[in-house]
Amino acid sequence: MIENLQRILKTAWQGLKRNGWLSIACITMITLSLILFSSMLLFNYISNSFINVLKSKMDLSIYFQNNIPEEDVLKIKDELLKNDLIDSITYTSKEEALKNFEEQAKYNPALEQALNLVGENPLTASLNIKAKNPKDYDKIINAINNSDFKDKLLQIDLTQNQRIINRMNTISWLIKIVSLVVIGLLVFLSFIISFNTIRMAIYSLREEIEIMKLVGANNWFIRGPFLLEGILQGLVASVITTIIFTTAILIFGTKIENFVPGSGLAIYFWSHFWFIFFWQTVFGIFLGAISSFWALRHYLKI
Amino acid sequence: MSLVYFKNVSKSYNGNLILDDITFSLEPGEFVVLVGKSGVGKTTLLKMLIRDELPTKGKIYFNNQDIGKFKPHEVAILRRKIGFVFQDFKLLSNKTAYENVAFAMEVAGYPESTIKRDVPEVLKLVNLEHIADHFPYQMSAGEKQRTVIARALIQRPELILADEPTGNLDPINTWEIVKLLIKINELGTAIILATHDKEIVNTLGKRVISLENGKIIRDEKEGKYII
Repeated sequence: MIENLQRILKTAWQGLKRNGWLSIACITMITLSLILFSSMLLFNYISNSFINVLKSKMDLSIYFQNNIPEEDVLKIKDELLKNDLIDSITYTSKEEALKNFEEQAKYNPALEQALNLVGENPLTASLNIKAKNPKDYDKIINAINNSDFKDKLLQIDLTQNQRIINRMNTISWLIKIVSLVVIGLLVFLSFIISFNTIRMAIYSLREEIEIMKLVGANNWFIRGPFLLEGILQGLVASVITTIIFTTAILIFGTKIENFVPGSGLAIYFWSHFWFIFFWQTVFGIFLGAISSFWALRHYLKI
Repeated sequence: MSLVYFKNVSKSYNGNLILDDITFSLEPGEFVVLVGKSGVGKTTLLKMLIRDELPTKGKIYFNNQDIGKFKPHEVAILRRKIGFVFQDFKLLSNKTAYENVAFAMEVAGYPESTIKRDVPEVLKLVNLEHIADHFPYQMSAGEKQRTVIARALIQRPELILADEPTGNLDPINTWEIVKLLIKINELGTAIILATHDKEIVNTLGKRVISLENGKIIRDEKEGKYII
């Protein structure tokens, strides 16, 4: 048994070495497949974080009438926090609102003038609400409209946010579906190409397989080295892919970060290095072994 | 007990009858020459004996076992008991002479120590020890054919099938191969030699089975090539 395994290992190694060009062609194709596969993992992450960045920029503001005391506003804030849909609420007092406004007005003489004209602080206290899930802003607005403190409110930033919310939801859904379909198609195509390359490699060795059969080798004795070769090719391809990705992340990581701020692609890559490497290797080995097994089936019939 | 027994064997491809009602037997240690024109079905007959082809009708027995009923692993074992020498050599192109011969032992599960002992011996027997590490593309036709014979011999088969083994060889190499086959037969291995080389047949003076139009037309001890 052990002797047989040793022989299979030896034969596989010889096959890789002595059919150099075929091995290189197969490894190249599997590598391309794996690059697509791992790009899928990373792209999926980037698009998710891109959507999350956009979503985190959404919020809902409610403005209180000028005569509402601060304690009431804070009470309302506490009450709202009991709502499961709400993630966080930031309170901005009249004074803080003025300060912020003055800060902005510094660069805009017209605003500064307007403020001076009014004389007193025209701004109101407000609560800035962030939902746990952007889809729920509608429900939160409804809840606010039906609450007891509705008449204490001056305004809810409703219409504008509604539009953004809807668009955001559509876009994120679209990005996900389109990217999944495109990537799924690419992975499938690369799988077919790898499979065909391996099949052609085995086709070119069909005479050898025939001879092995005529000399009295049983099917597993013939299949073993080919499967192992496929597995080794998958493994080598995975290592090459990892080297390519590592280099790419080292060189382009910061550029991608600029393009999609807050994506943290490099951080994600390093923290998930072994996760990506594992699945990529599993996929590579699966591709190599399954292709070899399938391609051999035809030649091993007696 | 016969080593080989063909019982009313017929073979047709797409309705074309190649072999028609072939019946003959072969005793252990016998040397039989199978003659007939090219395309008469000699190769098909030999291929059926290692179950590379199946008969359309009839049965083939090896050591009294119906090989038509063999399962795949039994077919593999059958092929280890019958050495096959092909006209086109059928050597593994990415293995050296030594490895080609050793491969036949590896498939049969011989331990490495036995392989290391036997392969050089057999290579010596066929006079190839000096090119043991050559690949097929580095060998002459005669050297290739002797490698094939070494591979057929290594498993100590009960029977060697030689299908036009000299078809691709010059006269000098041809006689070397024929002498080698005689030597192997003298050591106790039965041989079926398929050929259309009149000179070989007439010089050998062994049993001759003549095929014509898919039928056995003559089966003589110490026969001649008459077609």
